[in-house]
Amino acid sequence: MNICFYFQVHQPFRLLDYNFFQIGKDHFYENDALNKQILQKIAANCYLKTNALLLDLIHKHPSFNIAFSISGMALQQFELYQPEVLASFQELAKTGNVEFIAETYYHSLASLYNVEEFEFQVNKHDAAIYAYFGQKPVTFRNTELIYDNAMAKIAEQMGYKTILTEGVDRILKGRGPHCIYNAPHTSHIKVLLRDYELSDDIAFRFGDKNWVDYPITVEKFVDKLQKLEVSAETVNLFIDYETFGEHQPESSGIFSFLKAFVTECIDKQHYTFYSPKQISENLEANNEFFVADFISWADSERDLSAWLSNSMQYEALHKIYAMRNDILKTKNADLIQMWSRLQTSDHFYYMCTKYWADGDIHKYFSPFNSPYDAYIFYMNILSDFELVIKKALKGK
Amino acid sequence: MKEKLKVLTLGWEFPPIINGGLGVACYGLSKALSKLVDISLILPKGDLNFLVDNIETIGLNNIDLENLIIQSSSTSYQFLADVSIVDANLLPYQGKDAEILAQKYATADPVMIKERLKKDLSVFDTDDLYDGSLGERVQSFAKIATVLASQKDFDIIHAHDWMTFVAGMEIKAMSGKPLVLHVHSLEVDRNGPESKGWIYQVEKSAMEFADLIVPVSNYTAGVIKTFYGIEADKIVPIHNGIEQVQAYRSESSLPEKIVLFLGRITGQKGPDYFFETASKVIEFMPNVRFVMAGSGNMMKGLIENSAYKHLGNKFHFTGFLSQERVRYLLSIADVYVMPSVSEPFGLSALEAAQFGVPCVISKQAGAAEVLPSALKADFWDVDKMAGNIISILKYKGLRDQLVKDAYHDLSKISWENSAIQLNSVFNERFAVS
Repeated sequence: MNICFYFQVHQPFRLLDYNFFQIGKDHFYENDALNKQILQKIAANCYLKTNALLLDLIHKHPSFNIAFSISGMALQQFELYQPEVLASFQELAKTGNVEFIAETYYHSLASLYNVEEFEFQVNKHDAAIYAYFGQKPVTFRNTELIYDNAMAKIAEQMGYKTILTEGVDRILKGRGPHCIYNAPHTSHIKVLLRDYELSDDIAFRFGDKNWVDYPITVEKFVDKLQKLEVSAETVNLFIDYETFGEHQPESSGIFSFLKAFVTECIDKQHYTFYSPKQISENLEANNEFFVADFISWADSERDLSAWLSNSMQYEALHKIYAMRNDILKTKNADLIQMWSRLQTSDHFYYMCTKYWADGDIHKYFSPFNSPYDAYIFYMNILSDFELVIKKALKGK
Repeated sequence: MKEKLKVLTLGWEFPPIINGGLGVACYGLSKALSKLVDISLILPKGDLNFLVDNIETIGLNNIDLENLIIQSSSTSYQFLADVSIVDANLLPYQGKDAEILAQKYATADPVMIKERLKKDLSVFDTDDLYDGSLGERVQSFAKIATVLASQKDFDIIHAHDWMTFVAGMEIKAMSGKPLVLHVHSLEVDRNGPESKGWIYQVEKSAMEFADLIVPVSNYTAGVIKTFYGIEADKIVPIHNGIEQVQAYRSESSLPEKIVLFLGRITGQKGPDYFFETASKVIEFMPNVRFVMAGSGNMMKGLIENSAYKHLGNKFHFTGFLSQERVRYLLSIADVYVMPSVSEPFGLSALEAAQFGVPCVISKQAGAAEVLPSALKADFWDVDKMAGNIISILKYKGLRDQLVKDAYHDLSKISWENSAIQLNSVFNERFAVS
């Protein structure tokens, strides 16, 4: 059996508490101080430590392969606030055991609004990955694993061999997420599905003292793997990289777990650790994954509702994409960049009201007091930004 | 089945006599609670046309003095003598209520007692329970309620706000039954944290003497801890509920958007902050009218404020309005603003939400705890308040979402829920064995 580790690395450029009275006066929108502080904290807790650990594992076990998807937003913040993080990822890249996956540079929802913009952002990300890590990505993951049949087709047309998404029960209907799937209306792209049960054992439940499996040991986790269906070919553990040391602090034992788990799987169980690219090269797809309505890895619904379930989110998203033509007309690189960063999906995630009144995970990530504040500040920023664009176009 | 608790409730305002949230809350809660416990309710003024099923209501304006004295047992005669000689001045209650109540007097003259009671009852012969002789009225209420209580069988004393706290203390001292104070409003809310007058002293003494304090919000629980020095384990906050209403929207005859303030125009309610906020909003959105419905001692000052001349045609004072007029205003309002400096709850925010009006409220309001969908700001943060109002008026996506989410919030709030919580606290703490 194979274990496939793919780690998602992303940090948004969080916005300021931008009030109405700043419109027309202040044209700086991002909370630089907060972004710097968060990035440096996570770099210390997670990125630098986990990178060192993985590098060490690769040196000890040459057959240990992993994959990363690093958003352009994270790459930019590494350069701005802590370049050594970038250097440590480059170290990993040099081993040859690390695959870098394609995504939208701005970690955006462009695939839902404008295909042209979407392709532009994916190409921009590919170019950045090549520049930093010397690889041309062959595997694609859309923001937050948002996916449907059309997405697979677009990815294939763009030249990707493999696409990653969530192993959603309502689509799988009893089939496991442990084999390779193909997609309707495509010729060869392979679909790899996240095992959300086992991935979330590590990502969400690892330090949860109320969980029946707490504390999860390597022995218990390997036991779960051994009990999977006999036909299981690969277990895809797709995890937010910040799990290691940030969401699950070092004191939870997450680092020693990771190290011991990999060692046990390779030395005793003789499992392979292929990256998505290697899986596609080695295993055949013989099952169709048919997705008519969008799925994702977010929230228990695993659909678009984390970003698109209330009127604020619809209005804000509609407005940012409606600005595209005017923005591009300015031909001003700074303005285009600002507009693009405002597309980052996190801004809309903070506006989610689904379980807000009852207290939920969105609160943990949001820099704002409420989804309403998130929306108000965002819309105030867009109002100012519109004035800036208007002025820029007049000057032409 | 467990036997129902018998609760002796001491109220002050009760329908149809309602000045503010107290009467509404006492009514809503008692009505819902009456399904779970047996309630005898003593009020300064009861209206025979307004009786609630399952609640034995005794208005001091309706009691039969002769009967009261004849039916009194000899022990209660004795007690009657004790309480009736307490000075009409409330000051003796400051901190030493227990000693005073413990005083015993050897003899009691029934004729003298009757005369005193008559005099005591006469103070309720008024339409305004809060006029000049409030102290005397509170005192008289305590005496007569104690006489009435001496003839009743009950397990718990449940007193609503300071006007009934003196009575609560007397009855506890007489009966030894646990005293529960329901706190809807405090002197430090009404008159600021510096107010340490006799009403504050009554509240503080009562809290110290009580077995349980039930404030209507966590916010007020904090005030009780901070400003009255009461230990946390005696305080159990229970949020108010709300009565379902037939809410409606009306077509406004005005072309402008309407931003509404509802409540007494006194320092506690932050009318001056509303005024400042309005000036700020109108500067950027001239197409808005601000309506201040209510009356109070700060109204004159606001009208005379030089800024008012500037805002005059956009800023309206309506004076005190009937419930019907208030509801009409809610039905045409676009934003409801409650900038209270210190608000134990603020039922009117929930009423606004029922009418589909997005709310902008201060963080210093208890209602904020049950309305996650209200936009919040500190009462002094005029910029944020103004920004919130403008955002609601400007961004339709926000307005729609706030209204929708408010209905969700409201669906979780009811007097039945509050009563169930209160009953279980009663049972936990004072279960009859």
